[in-house]
Amino acid sequence: MGSLAYLLAATAGLTVVTVATRSSFFMLPARIDLPARVERALRYAPACALTAIICQGVFARDHQPYVSVHNNEMWAVLAAAVVFAKTRNMIAMMTVGMAVFTALRLSL
Amino acid sequence: MHRLATFKGLLPPIDRQAYHEGLRAMAPLGVAISVWGLVTGVAMVNSGLSIPMAILITLTVFAGSAQLAVLPLLATSAPLPIVWVTALLVNLRFVIFAAASRKSFVMLPWQQRMLAGYLNGDLGFALFSRRFADDPQRGTPEQWGYFYGGALVNWVAWMGSSIVGILLGGLAPTDWGLELGAYLALLAVVIPMVHRVPVAAGVLVTAAIAVATVHFPMRLGLLLAVLAGVAVAVGVESMRPEGQPHGVVAVASDIADEGEVM
Repeated sequence: MGSLAYLLAATAGLTVVTVATRSSFFMLPARIDLPARVERALRYAPACALTAIICQGVFARDHQPYVSVHNNEMWAVLAAAVVFAKTRNMIAMMTVGMAVFTALRLSL
Repeated sequence: MHRLATFKGLLPPIDRQAYHEGLRAMAPLGVAISVWGLVTGVAMVNSGLSIPMAILITLTVFAGSAQLAVLPLLATSAPLPIVWVTALLVNLRFVIFAAASRKSFVMLPWQQRMLAGYLNGDLGFALFSRRFADDPQRGTPEQWGYFYGGALVNWVAWMGSSIVGILLGGLAPTDWGLELGAYLALLAVVIPMVHRVPVAAGVLVTAAIAVATVHFPMRLGLLLAVLAGVAVAVGVESMRPEGQPHGVVAVASDIADEGEVM
């Protein structure tokens, strides 16, 4: 974890990001519209950004790709994804993910 | 007296009945918001943030998905611009929400617009846009009252559960693989988003490139993967435009209907 100054600067910037995105079009003059082309790109950015974060965290170790049968987190996330896609139940999904991870960790 | 007047300056005129209607509409969602807040709070502390820092981030940043997404970056002291851009990308859906609901707020003084925007999360937007979809009038005390009723429930449920999660997270041992919890929570946000062919194509390309570029300096592979994924999604959509929502209001309600929280 970074230093106190780093974390405070990060937090200040993250707060600005929240205000800038949520209030964006509330603050802009009415004549400025969201062009259809930009709107389309904005539409897909959050899903892609979250996917990139999850994949770099789960399918990698020590800055190298780690797609292996020994990757416990990978199996946990895949199992949780199947459960959530079928049930849309967050608690069931987290329970299964954690259980798979713990079972694999203890069995090896 | 003076302080009360200043506080009132931040809020537009509010219709009491509509305010109570907003409270009642958001109340049933309080459980889902609280589960999500609890998970986010626990994940923040288990990624290595101190309890006071986690509470500060919760109280100021007020964006669950972005908070979870930047945790692995903060834990490895990633460059600040990468941290901010990642949060920006995750939050871009709010720009669409703001564009879709601006007509009800543009006539207010700037500080009232800014506060309303700050509080305009996924669920509040979804309820508000559904309730007033057919209302020909834009910007009435009834609409503002309903908005603030929902926003208050959302804020209280989110902050309360997040802080409980942060305090609980401080009690649990950190070697349980609980940092996995942050990725699982993000999974719950992404999966409902992937419900059409273009976004599915974009997400697959992003996943492959993100893993292949994980060794790039300064986490630049992350941004490269997102840019490529968005380009592919936009390209696939332009090849098969039928069945896609068009116009900012349709797109915004399509996103909100995916059932994201925060």
